[in-house]
Amino acid sequence: MRFFSFHLMPYPDLPSDYDGPAWVTVPNQFYDPNLGSGLYNRYLDELIYAEEVGFDGVCVNEHHQNAYGNMPSPNLIASILARQTSRVRIAVVGNALPLYDPPTRVAEEFAMIDVISGGRLIAGMVVGGGPEYYSFSINPADARERFQEAHDLIVKAWTTPGPFEFIGKHFRIRYVNPWPRPIQQPHPEIWIPGAGSLETVEFVARQRYAYMGIPYFPITVFERMFRMFRDACEAEGYEADPLQQGWLVPIYVAETDEQARREYEEHLWYFVKRLLPGITIQPPGYTSVRSLGNILKSAGTFMLNLETWDQVVDGQYAIVGSPETVTDLLIENLSRLGTGNLLGLFQLGTLPHDLTKKNLALFAEQVMPKLRAEFPEGQPVHRPSAAGQVA
Amino acid sequence: MSSLSEEYVETDVGKVQVFRGGDGAPLVYMHSAAGEAVNPTAEKLADWFSVVSPVFPGFGESEGVDKVDDMEDATFHHLDLFDRLGLDAVPIVGLSFGGWMAAELATRYPGRVSRLVLVNPVGLYIEGQPVKEIFGRTPAELAEDMFADQSHPMAQMMHMLSEFRGDVGQQIEVPMELVLPIWKSMSATAKLGWDPYLHNPKLRRRLHRITAPTLVIHGAQDTLAPKAIAEAYTAEIPDARLVDVEGGAHLLALEKPDEVTDLIREFVSS
Repeated sequence: MRFFSFHLMPYPDLPSDYDGPAWVTVPNQFYDPNLGSGLYNRYLDELIYAEEVGFDGVCVNEHHQNAYGNMPSPNLIASILARQTSRVRIAVVGNALPLYDPPTRVAEEFAMIDVISGGRLIAGMVVGGGPEYYSFSINPADARERFQEAHDLIVKAWTTPGPFEFIGKHFRIRYVNPWPRPIQQPHPEIWIPGAGSLETVEFVARQRYAYMGIPYFPITVFERMFRMFRDACEAEGYEADPLQQGWLVPIYVAETDEQARREYEEHLWYFVKRLLPGITIQPPGYTSVRSLGNILKSAGTFMLNLETWDQVVDGQYAIVGSPETVTDLLIENLSRLGTGNLLGLFQLGTLPHDLTKKNLALFAEQVMPKLRAEFPEGQPVHRPSAAGQVA
Repeated sequence: MSSLSEEYVETDVGKVQVFRGGDGAPLVYMHSAAGEAVNPTAEKLADWFSVVSPVFPGFGESEGVDKVDDMEDATFHHLDLFDRLGLDAVPIVGLSFGGWMAAELATRYPGRVSRLVLVNPVGLYIEGQPVKEIFGRTPAELAEDMFADQSHPMAQMMHMLSEFRGDVGQQIEVPMELVLPIWKSMSATAKLGWDPYLHNPKLRRRLHRITAPTLVIHGAQDTLAPKAIAEAYTAEIPDARLVDVEGGAHLLALEKPDEVTDLIREFVSS
């Protein structure tokens, strides 16, 4: 099992009387740059702290014009981490490829981070969230096509000696020859986050990349998602490696179950009720007809719709409790899902610095060792029979 | 009111659906982003004309959305379709998005358009008076712009769709037969109209090339496409006039079929 600490870098100070979306049109006058200065530095400290306490990696991601995650350029944050950490993998999950024109920019920046960090980059590539298409006016109706072409260009730029010519439908570059080249050969490990679209699952399986399940759905939706992924790998003629799969989930550990809920709940609701609204906007053409049914079916189970703590617990939208509770729940769920990467959101919404650090420390000291013992590297994680016995 | 019958025509981009009906001289109807190839106005017009109402690639059952990326592709597709249907110089009626496509064809190939009727057209950008957002709003919100009278059956259906939601935390069964056509229509519209948003910055200075006598019809209660757009078409097209239809909003062909049909019949026959 590999453990990652994922940070969204949320904006915790939306006015209490604002009840609009946190995306696209959320007035940027709400953003206080002086507060933001402290936040960026604090959030970076939390990512660096994850290395100190023993995580295997840290994750950052890209979102634009929103209060949910203030990293329009995750590559800037990753490049700081490349200098300020020395051991952890740095996963950028990911760059929204259709927003980069030309996409060789991604090949260049990712290679820079890989070289500066001594080969520690995990290169995430993503189609981008629905809101991004409104914020950039990039046409969502050919988003998948642009993503595919950008991906092909980037991987080719890393693996084919330059200069060469790339003539595609969306991108035409007569001299592809990026400097620097990445340290990791043939290229950095590639992760693709997804929310269950068939096209994405099949693409990741075919390329033998790693599939990261996007959070905020109940555990049953993840179960279906990773079963779909294992099936897709099987259809490609191989068995999915646990390290090809990652589960992203909010985690909070405190001394006791009661204390965990007491310390955490208000911050979770700020996240659900203030930062999620607007994230689900589906621009036209962004999803294939084939995937539309699945996505609509899951829509009602999205975390945004939750009203009570019991619903959070029942659906396992967040794993919250004492070290023992969290350990048991994670063993059960990891066995169910079969994922060899656990991506925890240890800071969520308004959760303050001291509680975030305590959460990371308790998890690293009291949960992580047990999970490492339970799921040794190189062994299967998916154990449908074991799941349920623990519960 | 004549009924329209469905047929399929093999074109440059694949098989497309075409609705036809009536006798008399041919008349082409180009539908809006709502995909209303069959509608009361087209059916009434079939009492007077031989109506051809093609379904644009990506809408309905028409193939070829992957081969139409911009207005140039759209124009070539229409030329190809006209050739296959033996349409030489025809009157074209276009609603909204369809009006925009008709104007694009008429600027490039003025000889293929004998009369042009633009109903609540989009396609031009007027500083300070943009077309309202159609891609990010709920069906209920859109219905307010599309219909002056919210009791219209389609307006009612759009309000119903917005109210549709499952129980909290439950998986839901969505009425796909209602959602899918809308999804396809909006996706196909986005291919051509997402950016620039429902306009072509170059169209305005090309409008002088249109030779067909042109009638621009504006729904007086249309809150989606500002009247300024209809006025700009009227000002730039050499032989054009503008009429208002009271009591109708954006989807005028659905809401005011009698008035619109009369205006078109009179204009095209004159």
